[in-house]
Amino acid sequence: MTNAPRAWYNMVMIDAEKLKVLTESAKYDVSCSSSGSARKNEGGIGNGYIAGCCHSFTPDGRCISLLKILLSNDCIFNCKYCMSRSDADVPRMTATPEEICELTIDFYKRNYIEGLFLSSAVVKSPDFAMEQLLLTVKKLRTEYKFCGYIHLKGIPRADPLLVHEAAKYADRMSYNIELPTEKSLKLLAPQKSRESLLLPMKQLQRERKIFCEEKRKGHFLPAGQTTQLIVGASPEPDGQILRLTQGLYRQTGLKRVYYSSYVPVVHDPLLPETAAGSMREHRLYQADWLLRFYGFDAEEIVEDDGNLSLDFDPKCAWALRNLQLFPVEVNRAPLEVLLRVPGIGARSAYRIMEARKYTRLTFEDLKKMRVVLKRARHFITANGKFFGAESKKSIRGAITAGEKREGAVQLSLFSDRETALSALTGEL
Amino acid sequence: MIYFYDGTKEAFLTAFLLAYPDEEAVLVSGTRQLSVGQSTVFVRSDPDRARRAEARLKELDRDGLKELDLLLRSGQEDRDTVAFEYFRLIAARGCPVRKMLAEDAVFAAMECIRRVEFEVHRFHGFLRFMESASGALYAPFAPDNDICDLILPHFRTRLAPLPFVIHDVGRKKAAVFDGDHVFTAPLEKAELALSSDEEGWQELWKHYYKSVNIPSRERLKQMRGYMPVRYWKFMPEK
Ligand code: SF4
Repeated sequence: MTNAPRAWYNMVMIDAEKLKVLTESAKYDVSCSSSGSARKNEGGIGNGYIAGCCHSFTPDGRCISLLKILLSNDCIFNCKYCMSRSDADVPRMTATPEEICELTIDFYKRNYIEGLFLSSAVVKSPDFAMEQLLLTVKKLRTEYKFCGYIHLKGIPRADPLLVHEAAKYADRMSYNIELPTEKSLKLLAPQKSRESLLLPMKQLQRERKIFCEEKRKGHFLPAGQTTQLIVGASPEPDGQILRLTQGLYRQTGLKRVYYSSYVPVVHDPLLPETAAGSMREHRLYQADWLLRFYGFDAEEIVEDDGNLSLDFDPKCAWALRNLQLFPVEVNRAPLEVLLRVPGIGARSAYRIMEARKYTRLTFEDLKKMRVVLKRARHFITANGKFFGAESKKSIRGAITAGEKREGAVQLSLFSDRETALSALTGEL
Repeated sequence: MIYFYDGTKEAFLTAFLLAYPDEEAVLVSGTRQLSVGQSTVFVRSDPDRARRAEARLKELDRDGLKELDLLLRSGQEDRDTVAFEYFRLIAARGCPVRKMLAEDAVFAAMECIRRVEFEVHRFHGFLRFMESASGALYAPFAPDNDICDLILPHFRTRLAPLPFVIHDVGRKKAAVFDGDHVFTAPLEKAELALSSDEEGWQELWKHYYKSVNIPSRERLKQMRGYMPVRYWKFMPEK
């Protein structure tokens, strides 16, 4: 990028209608994170922002970090839940690589966005679609000298060589598993299979490991891989979903699993007519958080064929099942134990750890430090004193009463996925 | 006694030295109303005194002065008191106190600093540039805290070599990168000729903002929590 005017500039400003169509079909991908990349500005425009950065928020409460767009919505696959599926009657549009590049650069330099999240329908063939994606990100990096964040969604069944090439230009790649079991996948996304999604993920994991070990020049997915599961389009219970998630974190080194509660955009006898409740999605995110940062196992959080409680957040539900472990003394409990106290999050736990080096903390001190005690007081003692309810039943009662009143506030606090908290808890 | 000073670091340090022995000292700066009847000293900044106070505080806590800089940037009404009480505690204890969070003075100071830093982070995202006919970028905003020069470095690494201006319209000052140098300067009003397709990109951004929303899931309260209404004025999408 230089300051010199570009004569061909206006020729490639994308048409508003096309932008609309290609955004509308991309927006149900919930991942918008721009974190995890420290890419430097190498003589062009842009750089990474390791903690991620939100640029705007839409009326649905979601953050805009990346320009989320499809290269094309013209699909030969026929996934039942998708508005771009081949037998849907919708306008078909395809953007040129230049249109996407210009849009990205011009949005980026006005600071509208942190980078690009590019995906595509399977236009013509998996290889053709993947080639177009590769062409676009390569152009953006090499011709437009863009060093900002790029998240690329891979096309299942594309040539592994194309996948490998693309990973040199993207900061993060994702293949969406979408449905928790092979059976549901077969039913709702007949051209995909678990294998067609897991194979490229494993390939990239392998190649990234080699890249890092050999300290090769250049880049190879510095921000790793993520995936997404649709919740509520198929009948799998939360227990099964969380075990799958845990397996993915532990075995494939995924950075994040996203959950997207099903929104019925198409009608099909195989699909539910109603949207999955946002509370369920919210509880899954809380449980996911416990897996990643709080040292919980999926088995502790929910039984195999069970669902998460809608009344209590997963940590609270766990604590209520394990009351024999409480109360714990805030002046002595190690960090891992403090983090397991309902209502004490990472920030409060950190404050307690620091402050107790200087004084024996009382309930008054905790209040002064803005540790929220509404739930926590049933599970802790401070300087030997206990201010909670005595029996399990009354604890339950006290907590549910509080939850009902604060439902709305709580939701906004916890469904915070990408902002300040993520930096605090060390999300990558 | 009320100690009135001009809000600069030097004057604060001067005032600190004067006010420290006074049990009932209150520090006040800027445009805050003084109530009649209270005895007030107007503290004129004194480089010698300030240097002495600075050296002493540095001995007690190496990182304290960086915190002072952030505290004095706060737009919070009581920032002078918060800063004064915090440094008074450092002086009284004779050592760093920032981790003694059960102390009111420490907690208040840390929260105040956190808010300044959080706003810096927020504006890394919420700032909006427009492109002028010459290709330079211009971003007006009205932050709660005095931070325009603090957010500049982020954009300098990101956008260089493009020159740009970040204009705090409330405080009437600007942080500038002219392509070579970085500086801050008073700036009342900016005269700006927009580039020929600036409007076009703004329109596309508005379209994008509208399309990416999922209307059936409206959560306005949450949106406003993350992106306070007072910031909207300079965001084309709102
Ligand atoms: S592959 Fe399936 S999910 Fe992807 S665009 Fe085509 S129909 Fe939609």
